[in-house]
Amino acid sequence: MKYIAIIRQVPDGESKIRVEDGKVSLEGTTMILDQMDEYAVEEIIRLKEEHDGEAVVVAFGPERTEEAMRTALAMGADRGVLVTAEGYVDPVTQAVALAKVIAEEAPDVVFTGGQQADWDSQALGPAVAEALGWPSITWTTAFELEDGKAKATHDLDEGAEVVRVELPAVFTTQQGLNEPRYPTLPGIMKAKKKEIKKLAAAELGASGSKVEIIEQQIMELERKQKIIDGSKEPAAAAAELIKLLHEEAKVL
Amino acid sequence: MILVVLDHDGSKLRKSALEGVTRGRKLAEALGGEVAGLVVGPGAEAVAEEAKNFVNKVYVVSGPDWETYTAEKWAKAAQAAAEAAGAKVVVAPASRTGRSWTARLAVKLDAALLEDTLESWAEEGKVFATKYSFLNRVLEKQAGTLPAVVSVKPNTTPLAEPAGAGAVEPLSVELGELEKKVEVIKKITESGGKVSLTEAEVVVTGGRGMGSAEAFGMVEEFADLLGGAVGATRAVIDAGWRPYSEQIGQTGKTVQPTIYFALAVSGAVQHQAGMNKSKVVVAVNKDPDAPIFKETDYGIVGDVHQVLPAMIEEVKKVKNS
Repeated sequence: MKYIAIIRQVPDGESKIRVEDGKVSLEGTTMILDQMDEYAVEEIIRLKEEHDGEAVVVAFGPERTEEAMRTALAMGADRGVLVTAEGYVDPVTQAVALAKVIAEEAPDVVFTGGQQADWDSQALGPAVAEALGWPSITWTTAFELEDGKAKATHDLDEGAEVVRVELPAVFTTQQGLNEPRYPTLPGIMKAKKKEIKKLAAAELGASGSKVEIIEQQIMELERKQKIIDGSKEPAAAAAELIKLLHEEAKVL
Repeated sequence: MILVVLDHDGSKLRKSALEGVTRGRKLAEALGGEVAGLVVGPGAEAVAEEAKNFVNKVYVVSGPDWETYTAEKWAKAAQAAAEAAGAKVVVAPASRTGRSWTARLAVKLDAALLEDTLESWAEEGKVFATKYSFLNRVLEKQAGTLPAVVSVKPNTTPLAEPAGAGAVEPLSVELGELEKKVEVIKKITESGGKVSLTEAEVVVTGGRGMGSAEAFGMVEEFADLLGGAVGATRAVIDAGWRPYSEQIGQTGKTVQPTIYFALAVSGAVQHQAGMNKSKVVVAVNKDPDAPIFKETDYGIVGDVHQVLPAMIEEVKKVKNS
């Protein structure tokens, strides 16, 4: 069996983002393997450990994506394929290009993150599946292989459902799916020697983007930040707080 | 022509459907043509009778094959209706399921996908939209080429008023091999609270610092007192103290209440992504350096186990005065 995780490199949510000339600038921002994709990498490594086979990571992104790919390899994935393109390329265009790479790899199971931490997009997984003519299951919280099919639990708008899916198929992650492992030092050393095959997006016929980002601005609301010290007299602090909410903010 | 995929509960249209119609009408004004609707699934015929008051034509896809939702089937139905209508733009709700099948539809139609949009409009042969990105911290403006698929973030758009009476047209859509690959074995109903989390005016969220499942009794009491809903952080869900349905954040629900209480919540950015558009944010945390205080209007540095009981008493006083 072969298992693929599609990953992306995104800014660390904890680090500050800046806007320059109307666009988000990631210069100097710590970049990481998307945490939603970590679940995907963990899941394919587990599948390999349980059922044998190969765990491959693929990605579409700028050259720097290699760092995130090395993290996935350090966690235990076997090798990587990176489709390189600089600048913004929308998830659907990416998906069509990635589908060509994945079709050639011919995996049984593909996992990717449920939502991207930079574009807040949920499209990549289902779009890849559509381009391959495979089914997709989003927001997967439990997964097992059973009689050559997959049995998965996944979140819907309200509640969840259990499905049986013919393979190959694409699954997107939800927290609770697993507990991603940390790369170990030997894992990091080994990852340096693992193969990453690179090919340019243009080689796959992917050029341009159907969606263009015109302008971005930081949208953090101004908060009043009236903070009361309640460490010594909690009851008095509570009384003051409720008074402020009632009389000043007028929300109680 | 614009196609609006109308979400419904089996007997009537959901609010999101009427938001979609408003978006569809605006796009039709700029791009020309009429607005068609699509209703899929159990109860679609009955819902079409309501839907025809909002759009020029309603396509209906129903029957035994359409009893359960899958992304493959819904994308297929939307593709059939878009082709029947000759639609340049397909508008759909940005619910979890909506965002799943619209991604498939965009590939089928070779269309630009504008996801989870706050506003959308058309000019110069393109569709423009605004949306949040970077964990809800950035507002961005996008432009997509035609054809386009636009998903509408819930509660962003005025509800459409009825206008005239359109025709109802059953659409026969055959399932292919792909649409038969997912079999739904079991539905798991959400154990929701008394007040819907995403619609609540008051949300009271407890974090890891609550310390135990039992301590949430106090959170519930406070939420009940204010007619609000209880939320939880990822750490709390992972600890098994509260159900997944109460999770607020990137992977859970996004809320935008009038007042949001973050009790013993440290305020990781993934959590903030689910609540940072709340009107007033109140936080209680014993750590003065907790990131949540940067996203707070009114806060108390203190032990929630001492502060919250006092807050409950104070609110009772205000209510009785």
